[in-house]
Amino acid sequence: MELRSYIIRRLLLLIPVLLGVTLFIFGITMMFSPTQRAMLYVRDAKQLADLPAVIERYGLDQPFVVQYGTWLGQVFTGNLGYSKVVSQPVSDAIIQFLPATLELAIFATPLIILLGILLGTTAAAHKDRPLDHGTRVAAILGWSLPTFWLGLMLLMIFYGFLRGFLPPGRLSVQIDLLVNAAPFIRYTHINTIDAILNLDGPVFLDALRHLVLPVVTLSVVNVAFIMRLMRSSMLESLGKGYILTARAKGLAERVVVNKHARRNALIPVITVSGYVFAALANGVVITETIFNFKGIGWWAWQSAINLDISSVLGFALFNAVLFVLVNLVVDVLYTRVDPRVRLGQGVQ
Amino acid sequence: MKDLIRIRDLSVRFYTYEGVVHAIDDLDLDIRQGETLGIVGETGSGKSMTALAILRLVPYPGKIESGSIVFCDRDSGGEVELLKLREDRMRAIRGNKISMVFQEPGAALNPVYTIGDQISEVFLLHRRQELGRRARERVDNLLNDGNGFGAGLKRPFWHWQSRIYDKIAEEPHALEPRLLSHIPLFRRLLWRLKDEASLLTVDMLKDVEIPDAARVAAEYPHELSGGMKQRAVIAMALACSPELLIADEPTTSLDVTIQAQMLELFRRIKADKGASVLFVTHNLGVASEVCDRVAVMYAGRLCEVCTVEELFLHPLHPYTRALLDAVPMPGKELQTIPGALADALNPPPGCRFHPRCPSATPLCQQERPKLKAVAKDHMVACYLF
Repeated sequence: MELRSYIIRRLLLLIPVLLGVTLFIFGITMMFSPTQRAMLYVRDAKQLADLPAVIERYGLDQPFVVQYGTWLGQVFTGNLGYSKVVSQPVSDAIIQFLPATLELAIFATPLIILLGILLGTTAAAHKDRPLDHGTRVAAILGWSLPTFWLGLMLLMIFYGFLRGFLPPGRLSVQIDLLVNAAPFIRYTHINTIDAILNLDGPVFLDALRHLVLPVVTLSVVNVAFIMRLMRSSMLESLGKGYILTARAKGLAERVVVNKHARRNALIPVITVSGYVFAALANGVVITETIFNFKGIGWWAWQSAINLDISSVLGFALFNAVLFVLVNLVVDVLYTRVDPRVRLGQGVQ
Repeated sequence: MKDLIRIRDLSVRFYTYEGVVHAIDDLDLDIRQGETLGIVGETGSGKSMTALAILRLVPYPGKIESGSIVFCDRDSGGEVELLKLREDRMRAIRGNKISMVFQEPGAALNPVYTIGDQISEVFLLHRRQELGRRARERVDNLLNDGNGFGAGLKRPFWHWQSRIYDKIAEEPHALEPRLLSHIPLFRRLLWRLKDEASLLTVDMLKDVEIPDAARVAAEYPHELSGGMKQRAVIAMALACSPELLIADEPTTSLDVTIQAQMLELFRRIKADKGASVLFVTHNLGVASEVCDRVAVMYAGRLCEVCTVEELFLHPLHPYTRALLDAVPMPGKELQTIPGALADALNPPPGCRFHPRCPSATPLCQQERPKLKAVAKDHMVACYLF
């Protein structure tokens, strides 16, 4: 199938997926009584008298279908509601918090994937030898270190003991002022990319300095995961007949491993790499909180604990769109790596 | 006839958790120049392992324990001890002087590379000098014939190419081409080597009677039928005109009609190229079709080595006779060999076949019979003779 028609078909598939997701999440919020939901916006005892009027006005006691329909209609006009926790519309909140999260994801994902593939390949090529055992221990350590503990330890060492060498936050105070002042144009609100576009070295370095610790924290867990997956996938591929053929051809072990085995072993890793990116771009609550890196994860968490229903719904919607898009990219990538896969047909 | 491969006292053992498996036990075998030697035996008799041992590709946890495999190079006339060769020298022999065809053509081809890529790889590895020479000729033709503005612009580049391909043709491991071929982007500058390799590949595919060879070269393994895949695998093995072609059950997974075509192909290859073939099979019928001599193996040891006529007319070893009786034939009741294949972990002492042998003597249980010549080109390891 042609790539373009395939993509259009997959994007059309987004509609039922999103309907399903919203129906589910909207259904959960309806478990609260109309009074409970109206109470969320009460700040003052005096307002309590107005509750029935509020319920009446916003139709909170209407049947489920009517309320869902009203909400869906609003979503179609671009109104996702009002985010109480950050006192701005939900759509604005997503736009405000997404760049920070994306910045983390953009830096962490390639690092995670490349390191994971490299270490996994090495481990498989040295099966049951010291390098394999070493990477296995490192993977178990990385996988089992709690993120909050690792994050705090890194902060303590690189920010505390090393006197502010690698600070938390997104930018230093002075640089933050500079970024928001006149000559600096914020194209994307992703600091590193904006700095490059503005050809501003100091801003770039400062943004990078703030990125190191959260990226390292995120990488430790996920590299361990991808590495173990890559290792088992490589071992499977190294046991196949075509590896023996490659060796019987007289190819060096390096070529056998890096060319013949790895290309086949990459196929399952691509799927998981897509999910790793999606998971990171969805926001990582603990890492964003520890490093005061206010992204979408931080906002979603705040909304959830404050029962900010419209924010949670908006976040869920964003989440679903992201996952479907990542899935689409992964499926297209498959056809590049595995010639047996044709778009829309699966493996022949 | 002179020997091509001389195997002496070869022992291969597998060190497993359950114990040591004696996959091959003190094997002596010669492969002569230009002959087709068949190795027949049941599954687990060590026939495939013998083939892999010659290429030194015995899989982990197996190990070549002792013995010697001498390869007498027909072209250079020199003799090399394969088991003592440095790994890089051994790699230069694999796929070049000695190549192998595997049982399952579907598994033997890498699913993510085209047939052409996989065969070209052999040329790029072992025939670099020839590719360099051909590429240089092509560039020189361009230099001689090229006229006009475009050619004028490309001329300095062509001069550079001509020089670099000349270097490859002279000494494939010269510093400059080696550096180039190791740096990802610069590697593409040597694209003419690849082009020449694909031309040779298409010729090779035509040689194994693949119709529409250029199209097949651009296809992936899953797009071809089993017979076509096996032809491609054979083309890969024959790419560098090996002196020994090892075929490990090359027809087992194919349809009977395709089998017949393959056997015909093997016969033709041998006649054309004069290569020796080591044909591993469990099918005596197939062995009788292609082989000059046959070696019968049982539980890691040789029972009998003789010409294929002798095997069918005067089989001596009780195991060989039992094996021949076990071949299904119309109008004949099928005979099975009583008992099961010897336990590889705890093989019986003495002759390994004695528990299943109808004419076993007390001596057979104690001492291993040596392989001895009973007639011209007929050796048997049995106390009866």
